[in-house]
Amino acid sequence: MSMFQATELNERNKRKEKLFRLLFGGMTILLIVPVVVIVATLIARGGPALSWDFFFTAPSNGMTEGGVFPALVGTLWIVAVALIASVPLGVAAALYLSEYAPDNWLTRLINLAIINLAGVPSIVHALFGVGAFVLFFRFGTSILAASLTLAIMTLPVVIVSTRESLQAVPRAFREACWSMGATRWQAIWNVVLPNSISGILTGVILEVSRTVGETAPIMFTGAAFFLPFLPESVFDQTMALSLHLFVISTQVPGVPEHLPYGVALTLMGIVVVLNSASIAFRAYLRGKKKW
Amino acid sequence: MIRTQLHSSIWLALSLAFAAGCGGGAGGRTVIQNKGSDTLVNVAQAWAEAYAEKEPTVAIAVSGGGSGTGISALINGTVDLANASRKMKAKEDEAARANGVEPKEHIVGFDALAVYVHKDNPIESLTIEQLKSIYGEGGTTVNWSDLGVRVPGDSSDEIVRVSRQNNSGTYVYFRDTVLGKKNEYKLGSLDMHGSKDVVDLVEKTPGAIGYSGLAYATDHLRLVPIKKDDASPAVEPTVASAIDNSYPIARPLFMYTAGEPQGAIKTYMDWVMSDEGQRIILEKGYAPIRSLD
Repeated sequence: MSMFQATELNERNKRKEKLFRLLFGGMTILLIVPVVVIVATLIARGGPALSWDFFFTAPSNGMTEGGVFPALVGTLWIVAVALIASVPLGVAAALYLSEYAPDNWLTRLINLAIINLAGVPSIVHALFGVGAFVLFFRFGTSILAASLTLAIMTLPVVIVSTRESLQAVPRAFREACWSMGATRWQAIWNVVLPNSISGILTGVILEVSRTVGETAPIMFTGAAFFLPFLPESVFDQTMALSLHLFVISTQVPGVPEHLPYGVALTLMGIVVVLNSASIAFRAYLRGKKKW
Repeated sequence: MIRTQLHSSIWLALSLAFAAGCGGGAGGRTVIQNKGSDTLVNVAQAWAEAYAEKEPTVAIAVSGGGSGTGISALINGTVDLANASRKMKAKEDEAARANGVEPKEHIVGFDALAVYVHKDNPIESLTIEQLKSIYGEGGTTVNWSDLGVRVPGDSSDEIVRVSRQNNSGTYVYFRDTVLGKKNEYKLGSLDMHGSKDVVDLVEKTPGAIGYSGLAYATDHLRLVPIKKDDASPAVEPTVASAIDNSYPIARPLFMYTAGEPQGAIKTYMDWVMSDEGQRIILEKGYAPIRSLD
């Protein structure tokens, strides 16, 4: 019997090792099944609905025909205004928390508040939006009210991801700056931000994906069941793809089956397009990273 | 290198923000906010669609949510027109007046509230009293055999009651008319969030019974003829029987404005009441306010 012969224990461990590897691998495969099924169903059933006309005409004949143009444009407006409102605010807050704030009870309280804000259900945000933006600030049901509601809802995502990426920049970089006589702001602007921009963009990507799909926060604050015109300002109401999907699948009788699937596919398409644009930009910036 | 990249991207973001900000205020389009009843929402949508072609400078923004939703939005002053499939309650009227809004009621059509059952359900007709016993608190009718029928494919014999959420005008109207104003629904019904959801569920459930506007009827279910009482004839829910008032559970459909309608809102309301507008409500399966030639 050689010294390297596998013992009974070795064999058993090996079998166990194999078993668990298979088990966990199987779980992982299982994980992608819903995604594949959803995407495949959407493409198979919604694909035939897509056409140039589908994207660029308004719904017609009681929403059983036509396309999604006003909803598509409305969704882009809502996302753009939400980004404009939340990104500067979120990044500024994250900069303060990461670069300036001392570690005291107030900072810890703020961090706790951010975590709690992230846990608030979207329908609660929706009702807050109605009370605050629609009624109190008198924005009415409008893109502005809807976007601000979404902005507040997605702020924690932006703040947390920005703060993480700021903290991923080694402290030595800042110390080097400071020892050269740079102020905190000079260090942030010239060293910290350029090195963390790709992480910040990740947060923005997450925000876009969430903003595009949310229905509850916009259905009370700015999205209309039917409005065949394009919005002209942030004070207009608008249709939105997510609500349109809800409406034509549950509220309108006689909608042909391919239409809701087409809308769902479009909705997912927007997320993919916007995400890949920011991912490409992020990859480009990361390529420039010097460490 | 990185520095210039970052800075130019910030400028890009800023200029985008600026462009979006400047986009506002242009154009002289009037927007009329119209919200409320899920029963009326598809008619309201059809009106808005037709009106957009006729009057491109006026946009009608339609939203659903339920009669209660529309009326509270009118009270809050966030809509111009509230759609309702029931009359405004005294309490709501008070709340509106307290808020400086004087609601003005307009009857824009009539709806036969159809009682739906599965297409295999052989039941011939139901009286109001029987409906009350099925839906109302304290009612003793719980099985189809209590009504003398057996539904093929339904093993349990139990009547599956499909109802609506409590801010629905249809819910309130059915309660007031069928159960009586003082009565409540039996607990344990399936409360759906929209007329179409009721119809969809009844289609798929052999033992189900549900109520919704006639306009939501499909070929895949049966509409039960209704008798006012044992002695009365059974009347099918149709547009005609809603107009001549022979169908016992037909109701007016309302639109409320804040005060006497004026300007673009008045023009729109006049058009809704005109033959052209009323023809649209007829096409959608509701009864117009007067007979059309």
